[in-house]
Amino acid sequence: MKTQGLFSRTMLAFGFVFLYVPIISMIVYSFNDSRSVTVWNSVTSPTLKWYGRLFGDDQILSAAWLSIKVAAMSASGAVVLGTLAGLVLSRFGPFKGRALLQGLTTAPLVMPEVITGLSMLLLFVSLEQLLRAAFGWQFDRGVTTITIAHITFTMAYVTVVVQSRLASFDDSLEEAALDLGARPARVFFRITVPLILPAILSGWLLAFTLSWDDLVVTQFVSGPGSNTLPMVIFSRVRLGVSPVVNALASLMVLVVALGVILSAVLMRRQEQRRKREEQMAAAG
Amino acid sequence: MQTAERRADKNKAKAEPWRDPHAEGYVRIENITKKFGDFIAVNNVSLKIYQGEIFCLLGGSGCGKSTLLRMLAGFESPTSGAIYLDGQDMADVPPYERPINMMFQSYALFPHMTVEKNIAFGLEQEKGLSKTEIASRVTDILEIVKLGQFAARRPHQLSGGQRQRVALARALVKRPKLLLLDEPLGALDKKLREATQFELINIQEQLGVTFIVVTHDQEEAMTLASRIGVMNRGEIVQIGTPTEIYEFPMTKFVADFIGSVNMFEGQLIEDLPDRARIRSDELGGVVYIDHGISSAPGAMVWTAIRPEKINILRTPPQDTSENCVKGVVKEIAYMGDLSIYLVKIDSGKMVRVTLPNVERLSDDERILWDETVWLTWHASSPVVVTQ
Amino acid sequence: MKLSVARTATRDAPGRLGPLWTFLFRYGPPRWTEYVLRNWSGQRLVIGVPYLWLLLFFLVPFLIVLKISFAEFSPLGRPPYEPVFRWLEEGAVQVKLLIGSYVYLLNEPLYVSSWLYSIKVAFFSTIFCLMLGYPMAYAIARSSPTYRNVFLMLIILPFWTSFLLRVYAWIGLLKNDGVINNMLMAVGVIDEPIAMMNTSFAVYIGIVYSYLPFMILPLYSNLEKHDLTLLEAASDLGAGPVKAFMRITLPQSMPGIVAGSLLVFIPAVGEYVIPSLLGSSDQLMIARLLSDEFFLNRDWPKASAVAIAMLLLLVVPIMIFQRFQNKELEAQKR
Repeated sequence: MKTQGLFSRTMLAFGFVFLYVPIISMIVYSFNDSRSVTVWNSVTSPTLKWYGRLFGDDQILSAAWLSIKVAAMSASGAVVLGTLAGLVLSRFGPFKGRALLQGLTTAPLVMPEVITGLSMLLLFVSLEQLLRAAFGWQFDRGVTTITIAHITFTMAYVTVVVQSRLASFDDSLEEAALDLGARPARVFFRITVPLILPAILSGWLLAFTLSWDDLVVTQFVSGPGSNTLPMVIFSRVRLGVSPVVNALASLMVLVVALGVILSAVLMRRQEQRRKREEQMAAAG
Repeated sequence: MQTAERRADKNKAKAEPWRDPHAEGYVRIENITKKFGDFIAVNNVSLKIYQGEIFCLLGGSGCGKSTLLRMLAGFESPTSGAIYLDGQDMADVPPYERPINMMFQSYALFPHMTVEKNIAFGLEQEKGLSKTEIASRVTDILEIVKLGQFAARRPHQLSGGQRQRVALARALVKRPKLLLLDEPLGALDKKLREATQFELINIQEQLGVTFIVVTHDQEEAMTLASRIGVMNRGEIVQIGTPTEIYEFPMTKFVADFIGSVNMFEGQLIEDLPDRARIRSDELGGVVYIDHGISSAPGAMVWTAIRPEKINILRTPPQDTSENCVKGVVKEIAYMGDLSIYLVKIDSGKMVRVTLPNVERLSDDERILWDETVWLTWHASSPVVVTQ
Repeated sequence: MKLSVARTATRDAPGRLGPLWTFLFRYGPPRWTEYVLRNWSGQRLVIGVPYLWLLLFFLVPFLIVLKISFAEFSPLGRPPYEPVFRWLEEGAVQVKLLIGSYVYLLNEPLYVSSWLYSIKVAFFSTIFCLMLGYPMAYAIARSSPTYRNVFLMLIILPFWTSFLLRVYAWIGLLKNDGVINNMLMAVGVIDEPIAMMNTSFAVYIGIVYSYLPFMILPLYSNLEKHDLTLLEAASDLGAGPVKAFMRITLPQSMPGIVAGSLLVFIPAVGEYVIPSLLGSSDQLMIARLLSDEFFLNRDWPKASAVAIAMLLLLVVPIMIFQRFQNKELEAQKR
């Protein structure tokens, strides 16, 4: 047992090194005054020059703004649909087509993005043709199509998170509410949603991150003029390293790290307070 | 004289409405069956429950009592049959429209709401109640369940017993026609359970609500119920007052389920209006009973004798031919208030006898292990069951 | 719970549902509203909304891809394929299905080697992820609760940062004047930079790096639930630590292993970004071929055929994964 513990702990340490060295090196070299990024220029480094360039780079800034908008809309749409799907799959009894719904909500979790991207693009093209033939409408692919595509594949993640949260407590609370006279819709909004709110929020954040970060599907379904941040980054780094990208990456890691740490601290504090209250209640 | 008699009868009928053949049940369960696929959970159950009763559905796990309760509440719909409450057919009436409330086994308190809001929730769903009215009713019910100062607390800040009272208050505040209780005392420890049992009865009498309690604990049923319905495998096996169920079980199952019992198989050798005799090889003797059985002569029957109804004698009685058997004391369990003796009789069967420890006895006065003793009982004590 | 809520009689419905519905009832086509009210009770609506969305935007697209995969490529057309179904004057439909695209996929050497390469890369990446991820998950599951939360946070943090940027980070490490080569040369281990960029090696590193959290989390979730007293009992009965691990821990962690492996293998087969940034152009993975067929050659039928072929290849693993997902959720229901 002891040697085994040692082996796995060594692997754990190695694993963390493996996970973080690339990220840390990316951050370190964002302060390097050198176009080739990794050749350290000890004369003028460290410098904030790339960060300055970053904030003057219109292409990146507008792409980032577009990405934020799309991600916020997609996450919100995904949360609505994903929560409904999660509710249906955990609380509703058997109904015709349930198995198919279950399959449809978990397939996007593993589906390779090229397949999803291609299929949604072909759908939009067909819809385009249909709407033009039937109503004479013409629409271009752009923010709308990207948002719809993102909602579709991120809602699967929300469904899994919500379903898992709902499975962890039985429905006696909802039954009690029904018994007390509340109609099903009211039970959902006054009882179920408050109880799964943490799951819904983390689902939103998850969907936001996935949408914000998505490249392949977006490349398929976007239109001219709608470039998201990943698309801009990808086209730049295909040609080689770019120190501005390092600066961008560092900022993103910083934001995420702050967010993760903050939420962990908050949750820990809430957990401790709750434990204390329970102990007091049992004693008194 | 006639008026007095009739008034006495009417009072009795009010106190025991089930004895009145003309009484309409407040809750009428008629031929209710519930199937889950091929499995029959509730099999053609019919019951009448009267207003102001505490009716207990008693049975082991899987007997269908919880399913029956859920059908009353509206969470399951019967495969066939009908349920009437105060004359109204409950078919197709969803749980949020029934004048029935339920106290859940797990209490099901809303963790994100205070005690006050938990209780007020049900009132808020009703139309036409002003905020002040809701607040005053909440305060009133909190007084009744003695939780006045806990109004602002949340469920996780309460102890188990306090949570139970909140669950009760939440259900009662709506003044339902019927209150369903699912294993209400199961989660409480022994001392708390006893105290709560009496509190429940008091509250029920105070408010006059009709209770239906589901439990597997016979002690709970015996204490709380005005009548008990014993269930086994989806069917109601016997309905009666606690006394009736205990003293006059109608089947082997009921006799065995409630309390402990000594069961002797035997053959009916004499059956007259005022007496009956059963020869039992298991017993090694004849049982004489001071009432008739009305069964086929020579039928195979079981005689049930409760442990507390058997006497232990250290010297043989005068007449050993009937209602008497010799045996050897094999086990003694001292429980404080009474002692349980397991006596092995000649046929090899173990008979269970309980004696209260009325006085402190010296060593040579006390019954000891391996002592030969004679067990006797009164002719009115045995109960004969034919199934 | 079966929310077998009674459907209220249609007679009562308009009054109950409020002024909007009463308005529609009076002014909208009566039969239409009657139908909606009768059939679309709340429960159906709740099921219907996400279901319809997924049917329309997830399932139907696959059918369209299937259809186009049988179409004939027409390079100058907009869109670049001949219609599969064509309405003729008499009201009949002409259906033209070509399997040429599929034949090409299965025979063209470029494709054949790409299929094999993609599966190979995905397979071995999964193995490497497992070899690194299992001990890590094990160590986290066996550590004390305070450390455990910190470790989990550290595993999840990279997952929330951009996938693309983390792959990009490896470019900086692996290129000829990158961090690794610089350090090795500075220390004197090598004289010339090792060519690590644009190789299969880089692709493996990229995939393992990116998908490691997907392997660790299901494994951890499984290992954390293990009853450690079983190991104590085994030790009491004379089994050494290695034997106890092989006979007790390993079999119990099988569901986690399968779930993690599928979460890595299936998307890895269709990986596009990592081979594009880190891989060589001599050996392409299948997703790249699909993308090239579509964007460079504008051969939509062939691209669709590739997609369908990928789906067929992965459908069995996907279904196994879904079965595990369901089992996991059922188990959580306690």
